[in-house]
Amino acid sequence: MTTDVMISANALSKRFGSTRALDKVSFEVRRGEVVGFLGPNGAGKSTTMRILTCYISPSTGTAKVHGHDVFDDPLAVRKTLGYLPQRAPLYTDMNVYEYLQFAAQIRGLDDGTFKHRLKKVVEVCGLAQSLGKTISTLSHGFRQRVGLGQALIHDPPILILDEPTSDLDPNEKAEVLKYIKEIGKDRTILLSTHNLGEVEEACARAIIVSKGRVVADGQLDDIRAKTGRVRYVVTIDETRAEAGNKPPKALEIEEALGRLGGASAIRELPTDETAHKFELSGAQDSDLRAEIFRLVVARNWTLLELRRDAQSLDAVFRDLTRGDERADRGGDWEDDSDEDESDEEESDEEESDDESDDSDEEESDDQSDDEDDEDDEDDEDDDEPSERKKK
Amino acid sequence: MAAMMTIARREFRSYFDSPIAYVVICLSFLALGLMFFMYRGGFWQVDRATLQTMFDYVPFGLSCLVVPVVTMRLVAEEKRSGTLEMLITLPVKDSDVILGKYFGALGLVLVLVLATLAYPLAMFKFPWVLGSLDYGPILTGYFGLILFSAAATAIGLLISALTESQAVAFFITFFVLVVLWFLGTAAETQPGTLGAVLAYVSFQSRMQGFNRGVIDSRDVVFFLSVTVIALVIAFRALERRKWA
Repeated sequence: MTTDVMISANALSKRFGSTRALDKVSFEVRRGEVVGFLGPNGAGKSTTMRILTCYISPSTGTAKVHGHDVFDDPLAVRKTLGYLPQRAPLYTDMNVYEYLQFAAQIRGLDDGTFKHRLKKVVEVCGLAQSLGKTISTLSHGFRQRVGLGQALIHDPPILILDEPTSDLDPNEKAEVLKYIKEIGKDRTILLSTHNLGEVEEACARAIIVSKGRVVADGQLDDIRAKTGRVRYVVTIDETRAEAGNKPPKALEIEEALGRLGGASAIRELPTDETAHKFELSGAQDSDLRAEIFRLVVARNWTLLELRRDAQSLDAVFRDLTRGDERADRGGDWEDDSDEDESDEEESDEEESDDESDDSDEEESDDQSDDEDDEDDEDDEDDDEPSERKKK
Repeated sequence: MAAMMTIARREFRSYFDSPIAYVVICLSFLALGLMFFMYRGGFWQVDRATLQTMFDYVPFGLSCLVVPVVTMRLVAEEKRSGTLEMLITLPVKDSDVILGKYFGALGLVLVLVLATLAYPLAMFKFPWVLGSLDYGPILTGYFGLILFSAAATAIGLLISALTESQAVAFFITFFVLVVLWFLGTAAETQPGTLGAVLAYVSFQSRMQGFNRGVIDSRDVVFFLSVTVIALVIAFRALERRKWA
């Protein structure tokens, strides 16, 4: 093992009773990498992180953090780590300063070092105004900052952050991500999330887990290229048609598109306009736009939009993680879930929050990833703090 | 060790950040005062310069109210709110967590126990001198109370480590401690071996020696053993999260 490998997981498996939360998860994170740890709820992200932070032990397999085995030397592992658990559980009866001081004392920082580090942490986490406030009075976003602050107080070389941006409003999210990118320059960061937009923004590399297995691991571009497909979006007016023809029905369009050679995964997207909006995917090296155009002309429909883009990470993610779901549930669930998720597809480029709404309800949870279903209509929700997720 | 002290300090302080410490201290002193002076004529009826009755009431009060309230949240609340994960993933040993919490809670219980020193001091030293007090049984009595508190707090911590609910922890601790106390009364009515066994495990029977001014090494060892065993089991209960 080279010294450059900061985190290495080797065939980690974990069972909770009869539930298999992790199944031979292996990966490595090198010095200076910011890695997104992605997966639907219940995929085993938190379980993996808890193993890496020595909170729980794997059923089988080994993991090393900074060269220390999580089983043999948990204290050394924890010393090199800064860890922010999901939802930043803090002692709410303390004030922010006391809490950070408590964390520093347990980590054995002397007073001088603490003061020095505190300054830094306060600056980067934006805590100057709230140092004297009791944590119970802080908003969730600020608690998250305090949690991040305690993870950074000892200037650790490795940070493990479990959904650091959940429960934050969009501004706070952006700030935290910016900050993660910044500190990621000289640190190793493993960041779990189910928000793909965040990964695309903050990480160069992603590890995707699903049902306790690693389904993809690599640079984002590689993962994106993995499915080798492109996406088309077609919008056709539903109220009128050219040359006095009857306006088309959704079903009709879907069938027609389905007959195009090379088109697959056709589904309707929601839209505000009085139109039918469809998404389909085609092979990477082909271009279906001409054919789609000819089809529309031949039927005398009114084409409002036609666009072709690389398949988003979102879709890749869904492809990769859905396979397991499908096998798990049997095929008849498929249609259902397609509909559920169609909302999100639309907003790929902006901020697609949660890919896993439909997939988590079936899963036996690993006791940790029980996020509420999140914003389905991302666009609208972006403007409001995600209050409703709070308990 | 340093980590343990930090945890203990935080734990102790947190009682005073919430109303819990004040409520417990006020109510238990009020109750003790009423029992001591009023119940069945109380102290005046006895008509002797002794605090025997106080040493009868204090451990009972500790069992039914103070220890269950003080220990119920120790681990249970942290498990429920998730702060346990935050705490344990700091570089602390599980044993530091258990001992830190134990000493934090024991600190508050002992503050309470030692505050009852006000009784002998105020009644027999200053401002009142109601007679000449025999200090031997007082000292041994307090020694017994400290041992009793240590054992009871350890049991409370253990029960708190086994559940995620403060209410459950409270009631089970209450039940266990009160039963351990009244086994002594039960022992008096039971003949033969059964009575002997009951008396052996009863906290009440174990405290009688101290109240009379006798420090019996068997009683000391008994309370210390209960303390250590409860702490070890609590430590195991905390470790169990790794494998569950």
